[in-house]
Amino acid sequence: MNVIAPAEGAGRDVERAHLIALLYLPGLGPLRLRNLLAACPDAAELWWALTTPAPSGSPLARRLRAVELRGRVDQLFAAWAEAGRTVDPKAALRRHRSAGVELVMPGDPAFPDRLHDDEDPPTALFARGDLSVAAAPTVAIVGTRRATPYGLGIARRWAMALVEVGVAVVSGLARGIDAAAHDGALAAMDAVGGAPGPVGVVGTGLDVVYPRSSARLWSEVGRRGVLISEAPLGVGAQRWRFPARNRIIAGLADAVLVVESHERGGALSTADEALGRQRPVLAVPGSVHASSSAGTNHLLRDGALVATCVQDVLLALPTGGGRSPLGTARTQGSAVEAAPRRPADPEEAALLLALGWEPALVDRLVERTDWSLGATCRVLERLVARGLVVQQGAWFTQVRE
Amino acid sequence: MLASISSAVLRGVDGIRVTVEVHVAGGLPSFTVVGLPDASCREARDRVRAAVVSSGLPWPQQRITVNLAPSGLPKAGAGLDLPMAIGVLVASGVVPSERAVGIAFVGELGLDGSLRRIAGLVPLVEALPEPIVVVPPDGQAEAMVLGRHEVRAAATLAAVVAALRGLGPWETAARAPAVPHREPVADLADVRGQPMARRAVEVAAAGGHHLLMVGPPGAGKTMLAQRLVGLLPPLDADAALQATKVHSAAGETLPEGGLLRSPPLRAPHHNASMAALVGGGSAWLRPGEISLATGGVLFLDELAEFSPAVLDALRQPLEEGRIRVARAHGAVQFPARFLLVAATNPCPCGNAGGDRYCRCSAAARRRYRRRLSAPLLDRFDLRIAVHRPDPDRLTGAACEEGTEAVAARVAEVRAVTRRRGVSANRELSGGLLDRHAVPSRSGRQLLTDALRRQRVTARGVDRIRRVARTLADLDGARGCELAEEHIALAMHLRADTDQLLGVDE
Repeated sequence: MNVIAPAEGAGRDVERAHLIALLYLPGLGPLRLRNLLAACPDAAELWWALTTPAPSGSPLARRLRAVELRGRVDQLFAAWAEAGRTVDPKAALRRHRSAGVELVMPGDPAFPDRLHDDEDPPTALFARGDLSVAAAPTVAIVGTRRATPYGLGIARRWAMALVEVGVAVVSGLARGIDAAAHDGALAAMDAVGGAPGPVGVVGTGLDVVYPRSSARLWSEVGRRGVLISEAPLGVGAQRWRFPARNRIIAGLADAVLVVESHERGGALSTADEALGRQRPVLAVPGSVHASSSAGTNHLLRDGALVATCVQDVLLALPTGGGRSPLGTARTQGSAVEAAPRRPADPEEAALLLALGWEPALVDRLVERTDWSLGATCRVLERLVARGLVVQQGAWFTQVRE
Repeated sequence: MLASISSAVLRGVDGIRVTVEVHVAGGLPSFTVVGLPDASCREARDRVRAAVVSSGLPWPQQRITVNLAPSGLPKAGAGLDLPMAIGVLVASGVVPSERAVGIAFVGELGLDGSLRRIAGLVPLVEALPEPIVVVPPDGQAEAMVLGRHEVRAAATLAAVVAALRGLGPWETAARAPAVPHREPVADLADVRGQPMARRAVEVAAAGGHHLLMVGPPGAGKTMLAQRLVGLLPPLDADAALQATKVHSAAGETLPEGGLLRSPPLRAPHHNASMAALVGGGSAWLRPGEISLATGGVLFLDELAEFSPAVLDALRQPLEEGRIRVARAHGAVQFPARFLLVAATNPCPCGNAGGDRYCRCSAAARRRYRRRLSAPLLDRFDLRIAVHRPDPDRLTGAACEEGTEAVAARVAEVRAVTRRRGVSANRELSGGLLDRHAVPSRSGRQLLTDALRRQRVTARGVDRIRRVARTLADLDGARGCELAEEHIALAMHLRADTDQLLGVDE
């Protein structure tokens, strides 16, 4: 999608090129850049002021040095002057163009509406894919990288159900819950025509796949939905960029659903960002024994909305879910609410009962059933083969699938 | 005058017969030792001279030359002190030469003339063709293990000389205890609430399957390893002799009676050097921990902390049951047929895959995982996760089966296994495996499913069949068919290592 109006194309291009160049400067995060741009709205002028040594007495230089930067001003300016020599704005713009990565700025038609009046909006977004999917009703599905089959199953199936009713799924493409949510969203697109594509918000440059295991998901999300980043191409994983990425996830979502989270984790920071933006936060309750649900249970105690089914999520949306493009009728019949298949075999049914809905070790199952170790393993293997039980490490969990 | 006394030196775990030739002749008083003695052997000059003088015996003020034949072979150790002293005394006429015929001497001398025990008496005595061997008194039981020689002991050089001249008695031999006594072992009944781990230990003992335990600190991995060794049957005559030889050669203390009958448990620390683990090190090439574990269990706790080179060196012994140590001055072979039991944390913090929160990053877990090479991990037929047991189970009154009952079952399986022509089911392969471990129809279905889902590899299938065979043997199933139950359990006893170590790719 080309958003550059022909008449002003040349001028905008110069601005874009210098904005990209500015984003490559070390230590120049969204907040500092925004403050500097407030003092000097022309990106090209700002670039030259920051990277070429000017007489320190010049009015612009004095104005920039007075900007609130929270840090060692002299060091920052020195670092920018140094780094500026290695970045060529025009080449940077060409590089993004040829990689099919689009730069959108506030004021561009393609810039997501929800971010326009954000309290901490990005100065620019890099996107690969169709940014218009972010205009649909959206739900962010986030959670821990170290998820259990319980959380993975919910993330995937609820993402499918949401996409089926026309709600776009926003997530961070991390391992675990994020990946499961995107996977579900893509699967639902295969099943339902016209369903919105997934929105993936990442913390690295769009050509730096992180984590590497998500490579397939990255390309699929970029092809069928949209991949968004605040970082220009080539920027690797940096610690501060992940919380910054989380604020964009929260900013893009009508509601944030935390499926599983440990006591501390990125998903909780996304929830915080959403609360700061007055967006509803939902959490899926889990066992009080499970470390992987400690964070979500904590959120619930602090007043997050309880999400026990997809309807809970839909009801939290400002549209109320009922007015979503494809209607809610489909959710009634969706796979999520179907009663779980109970095995006919009495042994298998007995083992499922002993297993319950919390992960268990074979040792515990032997104790609960009082069967021999061999018999327990035999029945367990049948349940695994049938997809009713999932193994993760030494733990076995019952799943609804 | 010339004297020729028989003795032996140690090389690896074998004794080599050495003839100590002593020549005493006119000339300036001197004492030279030739025939490739090493430092400890050359120092014998000073010890021998002092011991002879302190024993009140005359030292010849003549030119003394000692030759250690065969002279091309390097010799190490202090065991030649006694034969040198006797040689000097025979050559100078203090002891009549006919009194020393047919007698071999082994022992170190103190400056006061006392006799001291040296390492390796079992292999040393084995190398001696003489019917009578004189050894230090605390080495008497060890020297008698072979039972081929008349072993005589004396506390001092003076007593040896007196006995040789017929003026005094030899020390009486300590009788070996009639009942071979087994050291008390830790009882398996102490392990509660961990049926999977208990079964893994039993299977490892019965089938000789190498065992890898992955679990957080405090889950009881060391406890299990200590109990495993108690399940192994006592060593048979050949194995006991071999184990005793190795222990003797390494200078380890032997049990009362001299013969090592209980399978040894060796647990080297993870900072052990290559030489300490596989052998070598000194001039006489001491056997390492893996050889000392022959016939028993080699327990490597904190497997991931061992240096990769050391772990790599385990591959030859695991394959061949012996290790060849080559040094500039020659190579020796040590026996190394052991049951390998290893334990490791799943990740640096120890909590991955458990019920507590793992603080390690995915990258940290992968780095930890990479310390363990795939070929090594593949050697383990049994790979299990060990979890902290449910505290309620630990305090409950429920009584678990003890070592005695399980050991009896293990012994029975070993007997059945020997009839198949192998010493343990671990060694079943190719045709033997096809003859004795045929999956039943439902079992085959289970394996095909698991292969399709990439839960097991084609290589893994053979190992699962071997373990399933041991499980069937333990259950008393004597047919060649493997029930679904045994295959399912064998699959659980051989977990995927990436899953065990919390690496999710």
